[in-house]
Amino acid sequence: MNTAEALVDFVRIWFMIGGVVAAFFLVIGIDRIDEDARGAYVFRPLIVPGILLIWPLVLWRWWVLETGRDNPDARFHPVRSAHGVAAFSMAIIITVTVIIGLSNRQEWPADFEPVRLSAPEGTSQ
Amino acid sequence: MSVKYVPVQWNKNKWYYNFFMVAGVAGFLFLFLYVSPQLLSHEKSINPQVHNARAFGACAFLMLSIILCIGPLARLDKRFLPLLYNRRHFGVMTAFVALTHFGYILDWYFAFSKSSKYETLIFSNTSYGQIVGFPFEAFGLIALVSLLILATTSHDFWLKFLTAPVWKRIHYLIYVAYISVAAHISLGILQDQQNHAFTAIFLVAALTVISLHVIAFLHERKSGDPKAQSDTDGWVRVCEASEIPEARAKIAVLPNGDRVAVFRMDNKLSAISNACAHQNGPLGEGKILRCLVTCPWHGFQYDVRSGRSPAPFTEIIPTYKIAVRDNVVLVDPNANPPGTYVEPVEVPA
Repeated sequence: MNTAEALVDFVRIWFMIGGVVAAFFLVIGIDRIDEDARGAYVFRPLIVPGILLIWPLVLWRWWVLETGRDNPDARFHPVRSAHGVAAFSMAIIITVTVIIGLSNRQEWPADFEPVRLSAPEGTSQ
Repeated sequence: MSVKYVPVQWNKNKWYYNFFMVAGVAGFLFLFLYVSPQLLSHEKSINPQVHNARAFGACAFLMLSIILCIGPLARLDKRFLPLLYNRRHFGVMTAFVALTHFGYILDWYFAFSKSSKYETLIFSNTSYGQIVGFPFEAFGLIALVSLLILATTSHDFWLKFLTAPVWKRIHYLIYVAYISVAAHISLGILQDQQNHAFTAIFLVAALTVISLHVIAFLHERKSGDPKAQSDTDGWVRVCEASEIPEARAKIAVLPNGDRVAVFRMDNKLSAISNACAHQNGPLGEGKILRCLVTCPWHGFQYDVRSGRSPAPFTEIIPTYKIAVRDNVVLVDPNANPPGTYVEPVEVPA
């Protein structure tokens, strides 16, 4: 198995586990940890793609809420300090990336007429 | 807004917002595909697959740039707050546009191999050790996955389930997405020396986004909320009562880092958490109408005396004990449990 196959298989397995987690969570878990979800079913399919992508986080939060380890005060502590880090990181990284990209642009001869090459034997394109 | 995840409010503003957003996307794609091929330097004959891929890719980049401008613009000038109101739909649509770009690329450049197109995408270029010819598709994939995580976790359920702080941290992926898109473009389409118009559009958009973020951060740091000063018996001083205008609030940072918003209503004062239960928006920047303060971000409302949303909504936020001594507003920095009623304190004449 090469690296590309392994990566594609990893993604496939990730989604399969996510599917199993989604089935258990939406049928059993969600009613146990969120009283607003009891009796509400139409919105549940909308949750499935998110569970497929971040199912480890879903399992963690499910466990935290199920075992009573949740700190209810924590939801009123907004994330503010990261704004500056995000702004300056973005400014620096994008500037450097654009400079690198533009300074490595390839020069093409202006007076060069392109010539169509015949495709190698045995290829389909 | 929803009650028990059942929508109960879909006002005209949301319809207008979505209408203009869809019309904008359709207009951009029409312009790109049929009206101005010379401007965007794709006048040479290319097949429809590549043509569409470029149109959706450029559209996704511009949408992402606009989304990223909304936050800092709203922080710099409150007139931009309405754009924040329904930004979630804007983000979901951007993810769909980016996914369409990915689909066109995948089904053209990587679809004619004996291996699966997904494997081909991964192994067709592995020159990660060089800048010229770098596999810029990898940056596109990072951006796409980030956008999909943002879009698929945008439902209000996720905010309640993960809590707003965790949800916000996940949604910082928007910056990862934008940086990746910038790298994807810089090492991808910008390597085409002929494409000056798109280069200019890209540079102006990226420069606008990063400038606005830096300016908004510096502005907020300069005119940030004042710290509450310690007083006797564990109380903290917020401000003078006369400084709080009717139906408005003063915000102060408590010793533990939380923010309290002290509102004046009918000459009486009430103190609630500054963080909205929905996305931790700044309630203290809202205005009171009929005992209810409205969050400037998404319109969630709370009774400033009890920290409770009006029925049928069920959101609750912490309240604080409050006192006025010698015209100075004092707050107990230990928050009451969310939804606790506190009798408003009259402002002395």
